Amino acid sequence: MQKHKISRRKFFAGASLAAAALVSTSRAQVAKGVNESGIMSEDVRRVGMRLACLCRSCKNTVGDCAMLECGYCAPMRKRIAAMQAAGQDDDAIVNAIVAQDGKEALAVPPAQGFALFAWATPYLAVVIGLFAIWAFIRRFSAKRHAVPDVDPEILDRYHDRIEKDMSKLD
Amino acid sequence: MENLGSLAILLAFCVAIYATLASLVGRVKRKPFLIVSGERAVYSIWVLMTIASGVLVYSLLTGDFRMSYVAEHSNRTMPILYKFAAWWGGQEGSLLFWSWLLSTYAAVVVFTNRRKHRDMMPWVIGVMTTVQSFFLVLNNFIANPFRVLAQEKLIVNVGDGNGLSPLLQYPAMAIHPPMLYLGYVGFCVPFAFAIGSLITRQPGDAWIHTTRRWTLVTWLFQSTGIMLGAAWAYHVLGWGGYWGWDPVENASLLPWLSGTAFLHSVMMQEKKGMMKVWNIVLVSTTFFLCIFGTFLTRSGVVSSVHAFAQGSIGKFFVTFLAIGIAGTVYLILNRLDFLKSEAQLESVLSRESSFLFNNLVLLASCFAVLWGTLFPVISEAVTGEKISVDAPFYNRVQVPIGLFMLFLTGVGPLIAWRRSSFESLRKSFLWPTVAAVGVAAVLAVSGIHHFYALMSFGLSAFVLISVGLEFVKGASAISSKSGTNILTAMVELTHRNTRRYGGYLVHVGIVLIFIAFTGKAFDKDAVQEVTPGGTMQIGRYALHVVSFDQGQNENYQWGKLNIDVSKDGDDLGKIEPEHRLYRASKSATSEVAIRRRLNEDLYVNFAGTSPDGQKVIIQAYVFPLVTWIWVGYWVVLIGTLVCLVPNKQKLIWARTEVVGIADKHAKAQN
Repeated sequence: MQKHKISRRKFFAGASLAAAALVSTSRAQVAKGVNESGIMSEDVRRVGMRLACLCRSCKNTVGDCAMLECGYCAPMRKRIAAMQAAGQDDDAIVNAIVAQDGKEALAVPPAQGFALFAWATPYLAVVIGLFAIWAFIRRFSAKRHAVPDVDPEILDRYHDRIEKDMSKLD
Repeated sequence: MENLGSLAILLAFCVAIYATLASLVGRVKRKPFLIVSGERAVYSIWVLMTIASGVLVYSLLTGDFRMSYVAEHSNRTMPILYKFAAWWGGQEGSLLFWSWLLSTYAAVVVFTNRRKHRDMMPWVIGVMTTVQSFFLVLNNFIANPFRVLAQEKLIVNVGDGNGLSPLLQYPAMAIHPPMLYLGYVGFCVPFAFAIGSLITRQPGDAWIHTTRRWTLVTWLFQSTGIMLGAAWAYHVLGWGGYWGWDPVENASLLPWLSGTAFLHSVMMQEKKGMMKVWNIVLVSTTFFLCIFGTFLTRSGVVSSVHAFAQGSIGKFFVTFLAIGIAGTVYLILNRLDFLKSEAQLESVLSRESSFLFNNLVLLASCFAVLWGTLFPVISEAVTGEKISVDAPFYNRVQVPIGLFMLFLTGVGPLIAWRRSSFESLRKSFLWPTVAAVGVAAVLAVSGIHHFYALMSFGLSAFVLISVGLEFVKGASAISSKSGTNILTAMVELTHRNTRRYGGYLVHVGIVLIFIAFTGKAFDKDAVQEVTPGGTMQIGRYALHVVSFDQGQNENYQWGKLNIDVSKDGDDLGKIEPEHRLYRASKSATSEVAIRRRLNEDLYVNFAGTSPDGQKVIIQAYVFPLVTWIWVGYWVVLIGTLVCLVPNKQKLIWARTEVVGIADKHAKAQN
């Protein structure tokens, strides 16, 4: 593998920059909004977790999509940041985005209207399954018959047979 | 060469149709020569498919860029492994691979059953070659891999190709599709035997005994394929996710879940002669879910990250599925009289009942995955508005179902067949319950208050102790009788009933995987711009960026970070996350650096540089317990292999109609 050292001028603008870096990189993420590299603040991330990433390349949310330059999430994060800067609360931001982009923008189906089926149906299937098991058990359960008296001779024969069989087992 | 390939698949198509007709007509008209001819046709299909596949592989390896498929999915600079893997890297090639695998399975089935099931085999061959014909229609007329590039009726050689998607240029990905396909295609075998059994009105379960190993091996391939996919996602996609609930991932999980349900419920039929209709339904469902999975992967009907190979072949799959499902349903309804249960449930507190709940949970999980995958399409069709169903939905729905499944994994082995008394249950459940409560209490006291996590850890302890006690009890009995040590006794115990104890090992593997999933609740992540020479912190780890190097080779350009890692001030060595830009496709990939430990992974991705080029962007994650996924898989693998080993002595289960004995005697007396 051919190895080229990257231009020092480009990545190391002298010792002064390196010294500054020691100070500047000790913070976690960005304090507010979204920075130029696409890194978001915790506030943006919190709202983003309620919105789907619609880039068609993943099933993550805007809050946890790891692609910093994602064609959908990057502008959406900036939009959220701008709305937060304008003083809107989380619900208002989500509602505004849904009003503009449709319910598809939500990470999970809303618990209302037809989308309620998305949540209810799996549990309904479990209930139907439980009912099916109940019906199966009822149908295939052995009926408790009134057991008639069995000739003791026959019973003894069975007991002898069982003992012989058991003695063969290790 | 391309003409040879085209001719081979065209001939294979004709021979497949002949094999179907010869087998079925031969069986109906009682013409043995036609039946034998149909069997030999199956071998011929395999030879023809092998020739066609060989042509494609040869073209990929030698870089025959006149062929459209080669130009699209290979290039000169790709390593030979990935040139070979390009066989299944695109739409046309992967469908050819499907066909080749099916022809191989069919040939093996015909060979291994050449002196068995003579009545059923023509139907089995008929089913398999019908499926083969469907895929050969796709190979020949819809997605032909032997098309050449042409301009004004002249064949063009483009000199070099686009290359395989860089995301697929990863060792696990080279074998992930074959493993999944071995699973998908393999379920055709038990399905074909089930249909053969239905058509020939066989009241017994010969098809189950014949296909048990097939099913188990196929299930293992499917499990391996899923796990390789998870490993690939974890290592390649750069965000540490091993499962993203993507529709194509879901497509592989669906037949796995129904297949797992089948592997359990089939024991009811073997031991008690019960659930015959249900087992046919399950094996058919599993097969059709395999076809459905291929349809999802290939049709693009739902948006997916796996958009490596898609096209407009969906309608063919839908037609095939519709005809296949309708035919199977008709056959099952028509043969219900031959599928009557031979026994009855003696008690609700029995192993039989636990299998019923096991099937319910597995199928509920399967249905929830299917529902979530299709809901966006259904919603759009019904309301005209698309609804997103993303990872949070699946996590909320699947976690309770998964925990119940975990509970049943521990309960099943503790309950006896036929009937358990409350007293025996109390004895069996005592120590596992004590362990579960103890583990949950200790974790709660130590600061873990995540409800599902406590449940999961507690239930995991429950299962591990219940399985452990089963081994210890059985081995102690052998040890005290034979005087061997406990480990030797455990091996002996397992050898005496490999299916049972191999199955327990599989349960242990699944528990380990659940423990790893639970660790997800405690993930940590941080994204930060760091100037070379600087340091970032994540949890107790400090990442000191020593340098940033760049370079290139024939295939890609690369940038690599050299990072010193320390934890609580202790030096842990270096890691080197890398970022690549592939020349041919102009696409970027991440080679993440992972510091693996059993308690947690430190996962570092070099995401790029800041717009001014002065800083590097690092995405760092701490994933607790994630390594147990891979450990769990190996345990599942070993357990399944143990299941495949024949018992030391053949076990025979008496299918006694216990309840009827008294009645029979009473009648005899009268």
